[in-house]
Amino acid sequence: MSSRRAQRWQAAGRYALVGAGALVMLVPFWFMFTFATHSRTEIFSVPPPAWFGDDLLSNLRILGERIPFWRNLGMSLYVALASTALTLLFCSMGGYAFAMFEFRFKRALFALVLGTMLLPSFMAMIPTFMIMDALGWIDQPRALYIPGAASAFGIFLMRQYTASAVPRELIEAARIDGCGELGIYARIVLPLLKPALGTLGLVTFVSSWNNFIGPLIVMRSPENYTLPLALRSLQSPADAEWGALMAGAAVATLPLLVLFALSSRQLISGLTAGAVKQ
Amino acid sequence: MRSLTDAADAAAEAAAAKAPVPRVPPPRRLHISARSVPYVLLLPFLALFVVFGVFPLVFSLYLAFQSWEPTSGLQAMQYVGWDNFAFALFDAWFWKAMLNTLWLALASGLPQHLVAIPLACFIHASFPRLRNVVLGVYFAPYITSTVALAIVFTLFYSTDYGLVNSLLGALREWPLVGALLPAQRIDWLGEPQYIKPAIAALVFWRFVGFNIVLYLAGLQAIPRDLYEAARIDGASALQRFRHVTLPGLKPMIVFGVTLSVIGGLQLFEEPFILTPDGRGGSDQAGMTAAVYLYRTAFDFNDFGAASAMSWLLFVAVALATWLTQRMFRSAR
Amino acid sequence: MPRAPHPLPDRLRRRLVVGVPAFAAVAGRVRAAPRRTLVIAAFPAVDKIVQAAVPAWQALQPGVEIKVVSRRSSDHHVAMTTALSSASDLPDLFAVEADYIGRFALGRGLEDLRPAPYRIDTLREHFVPYALQQASNPRGEVVAVPSDIGPGTLLYRHDLLQRAGLAEADFTRTWEGYVEGGRRIKAATGAYLLAHARDMKDIAIRTGLAPGEGLYFGPGNTVAVGVGSPRFVRAFELAREVRRGQLDARVSPWTSDWSEGFRRGGIATQMLGAWLAGHLNNWLAPTTRGLWRAAQLPEGAYAAYGGTFFAMARASSAESKALGWQFARLLTTDRTLQLAAFRQHDAFPALVDTFSDPFFEQPIPFLGGQAARLVWREAAQRIAAPAIHKQDRFAEEVVNTELDKVLLQGKDIASALGDAERLLQYRAHR
Repeated sequence: MSSRRAQRWQAAGRYALVGAGALVMLVPFWFMFTFATHSRTEIFSVPPPAWFGDDLLSNLRILGERIPFWRNLGMSLYVALASTALTLLFCSMGGYAFAMFEFRFKRALFALVLGTMLLPSFMAMIPTFMIMDALGWIDQPRALYIPGAASAFGIFLMRQYTASAVPRELIEAARIDGCGELGIYARIVLPLLKPALGTLGLVTFVSSWNNFIGPLIVMRSPENYTLPLALRSLQSPADAEWGALMAGAAVATLPLLVLFALSSRQLISGLTAGAVKQ
Repeated sequence: MRSLTDAADAAAEAAAAKAPVPRVPPPRRLHISARSVPYVLLLPFLALFVVFGVFPLVFSLYLAFQSWEPTSGLQAMQYVGWDNFAFALFDAWFWKAMLNTLWLALASGLPQHLVAIPLACFIHASFPRLRNVVLGVYFAPYITSTVALAIVFTLFYSTDYGLVNSLLGALREWPLVGALLPAQRIDWLGEPQYIKPAIAALVFWRFVGFNIVLYLAGLQAIPRDLYEAARIDGASALQRFRHVTLPGLKPMIVFGVTLSVIGGLQLFEEPFILTPDGRGGSDQAGMTAAVYLYRTAFDFNDFGAASAMSWLLFVAVALATWLTQRMFRSAR
Repeated sequence: MPRAPHPLPDRLRRRLVVGVPAFAAVAGRVRAAPRRTLVIAAFPAVDKIVQAAVPAWQALQPGVEIKVVSRRSSDHHVAMTTALSSASDLPDLFAVEADYIGRFALGRGLEDLRPAPYRIDTLREHFVPYALQQASNPRGEVVAVPSDIGPGTLLYRHDLLQRAGLAEADFTRTWEGYVEGGRRIKAATGAYLLAHARDMKDIAIRTGLAPGEGLYFGPGNTVAVGVGSPRFVRAFELAREVRRGQLDARVSPWTSDWSEGFRRGGIATQMLGAWLAGHLNNWLAPTTRGLWRAAQLPEGAYAAYGGTFFAMARASSAESKALGWQFARLLTTDRTLQLAAFRQHDAFPALVDTFSDPFFEQPIPFLGGQAARLVWREAAQRIAAPAIHKQDRFAEEVVNTELDKVLLQGKDIASALGDAERLLQYRAHR
C-alpha cells in the first residue's frame, strides 16, 4: 500500500514540477498580452498591471497610425508562406538526393553545406546586399524568400529523415517498374516525408516570420517591411509607445502560436525522428 | 502500360509493409537517368546555395585579408595580409568577448539540458493526453520573435518597475530565501555582474522547451522491456534512470548538446536585444563574440577585422563541436 | 521581369537572363524619368520634418515626388553603411545623426560639398559654426549640411533647488560647486543630482577643450586619455565624488527608470540637448510642468548633444546629387521650414538667420515661463566641436568601462586611466 501512496506522491510531484515549469514559460506571454491592453503610463506603474486593461483598441489605433501595420502583417505572411513552400520543395529534393544517391563530391558538398551553418548570418549582410542589388531585387519580397530556400538546416533534416523513413527497396522496385526518377520522387518519396516536411515547414515559417536582419538590409519602403522590422522602427528611445509596441508584439506572436497549436504533433515527430536515427 | 496488379505486386514484393502502396506510375515522359537524377534534384538548392551561401563565405574570407572601411566603397579595400588576424588575436576585447561567450554558452546551455532531461522524463511518465498541449507551452518561447521578446524582457528587467525585481522584493520577505538576496533592487541590464545572468536566463527560457521535445522523442525510442527487465532485477527508480534511461538517451544528448554548443558560441540575438543599441552593456559584460563582431563591422567601421574575427570564431566553433563529439565518444 | 521571346542559343539566353535585370536596374537609375522620385532616408522625428517640407518643395520642383524611408536610428545607419559599402541602391539624400557623422565623415563615401554645384562655403555664415566643423574631416572636406543642432543645456528642478536654499548662480559656477549643490539637494529633498555619474564624466571631459583638439586622441594618432591628462583625471574624480555622495540615480538615459525618475521628482538635474525640454513636456514628465528651468552648462562648458545632418553619397549620379542638394538646401536654409521644425519637433535650427525671430524670446510654459531659447541660442554660438578620430566610438566605450570599474569596484583612477590608455594605443592606428 505504501508503495502506491509513494507512487501517487511521485506522480503529484511530477505534475507539480512540470506545471511550475509551464507557468514560467507562459509568464512573459501573459504579460505581453495584458500589457498590450494598457497604456504607456499604466505599464510603468509599480506594481505593473496583472490583468487586462481597456486600451487595446487605442493601442492598435496608435500602431496603425505609426506604421502601415496591416500591410506589414500581410507582407510577413506572404514572405513566410512563400519561403516555406520553396524551402520544402528544394530541401526535400536535395535531401532525397543526398540520402539515396551516390555521386561525386557528395561528402565534400554536404560538409560545405553544413559549414555554412557556422558563419554568423550578419557577416553575409554586405555580400547579400551586393547580390540583391545586382539582381534588382532590392525592396522586393523575393529577396527575402528566395535565398532562404537554400537552408542548410533544411537539407540536414531532410537527409536524416529521408535516410531513415524511405526504404531503398521501395525505390528500387519502383525503378524496376519503369517509374521515372522524378515520378519516384513526387509519388513515392514525398508522401513518406510528411512528418519531416511538417517540421521543416514550421521551422521555416517561424524563422522567416521572425527574421528582421534580412528585411533590414533589402527593404527600402516602410510598406514593404515585415512586421518585426516595422515594430523595431517604432522603438526609437525618444518616444516608445510601449502599449502599442506590446500590442504589435502580441500580434506578431499570435499567428505563430496558432500555427504551432495546429501542427505541434507533426513538428515533434518530424524533428525527433530525424534526429534519433543518426 | 503496366496494370494496377503488376504495380501492386511489385510493391508488395518490396516488403515495405509500412509504406503506402504507390499509385500506378505514368508512362515515362522525361528520361532522366538514375545517374544524373541526383544532380537534377540538387540543382535548385545548389544554385541558390552557391549564390547566397558560398559567395558570402568566399567574400568574407577574402575580406579577412583586407583593410576596409565600408562607407568608402568597394574600391577602398587594401590588402594587408594576416594583419587583421594578428590584430584580433592580440586584442583584449576579442578575448573578453570569447570568455563572455564561453560563460554564457555554459551558463545558459548546461541548465537547459539538466532541466530538460528530468522534465522530459516527467512528461513521458505522466500526461498521456495533454502531452501536446504541455509540449506546446514549453515550445512557445522558441518560436517567438526576438523583437517581441526584446520589448517584453526589457520591461521585465527594469530596475525599479520590472517584474523580476518585484518578485524578488516579494521573496525577500521570506525568512530563508530572503537572506540570500541582495538588499536593493538589482540593476539587471546596467551592472556587469548581473547582465550575464539576465541574458543567460532569457536564453534558457527560450530553448529549454526545444530540448524537452528532443529528449521526449529520445525517451519514446527506448524500449519498455529494458525498464521491465531492470525492475525485475530489483533496480530502484534512480538506478533505472542511470542505467537504462541515460544510456538510451545518449544519441539524443549528443545531438542536443552539439546544437547547444554551436548555438551558444554564436549567441547574438539575445545579448543584442537586451543591451542598449546592441553594445553589450557595461564593461561589455554582455558582449559575446558575435556581438563584438557586429560592432567591429558596423560601429567601428572595420570590416576587415570583423571578417577575420568571424573566421576565428568559426575555428573555435568547429573545434568545440569536434571536442563535444570526442567527449561523448570516449564516454562510451 | 517579363522576358521577351528569345530566338537565341541557350548560352546567350542564360547570360541575358541574368544580365537583363541587372542592366535594367542600372538603366532605370540613369534614365531621366519625367516623374522623378527623390528618395530620402531618415529616422523618427527627422522623417516628419522632411515630410513637413514637401509642400515647399512642390512649389520649387512640382515634378519631383518625395519618398521618405524611415528606420529606427541605429538600423538606419547600418543600412546606410551597407548601401555605401557597395555604392548601390543609395538614397538620393540621407540624414545622419551627430553621433555618427564623425565616422561617416572620415570615410570617403560622402560627397564633398565645397566644390560646384554645392559651394557650401558660400553658406558658411548662415550656419552655426560648430555644426559645420562637425561635418568636416581632417582632409578639409565638408561632407554634410547641418539641419538641426542640440545645444547642451542644464535642465534643473527649480523647486528642488529652492527647497535646498540654492541659487542657480552658485550651482553653475564651477563643477565642484555643482556637486556641492547636489549634496545639499540630496540632504534637503532626497532627490538625486543627476541620472548617472557617467554624465558628469561626459561633460567634464568636454570642458576646457581647446578648439581643434580631439576628445580622446591628439594629432597624429596620439592618445589623449591617460593619467597625464588633467582633463580626464578631473572628470573621473568628479564622477567618483558624485557616486560616493550617492548623488546619482544610477539610471541610463532613455530607460523606463530614467523617465520615471523625472516623473516622480527623483532626479533634480539633467544635462542634455535643449530638445529634452520638449520631450519632458510631451511625454517624459508632463506633470512636472512649470517646475523646471534651463541654464547654461556649469563652468562655461559648451557642448553639443545630438543634431542632424544631411549628406549624399559620392557614388550617386550627378543628377541625383543635384536634386538632393536642392532639397537639403531648402530644408536647411529656409527660415520658415527651420522655425516650423523648431516649433513642432524641438529641432533647434542650425540656421543662424532664424536666431533673430521673436520665437526665441517667447516664454516657455513648461519651464515656468522662462525664455530659455535665448540661453540656448547663446550656447549654440559658443560651442566648439572637438576634432574627430576614427576610434572615437571605441574610445568612448573604453573610458566608460574604466569609469564603471572605478565607480563599482573602487579601482583607482590612475590605473583605470592607464589601462584605458594602453587599450587605445593598441587601436589608434586602425
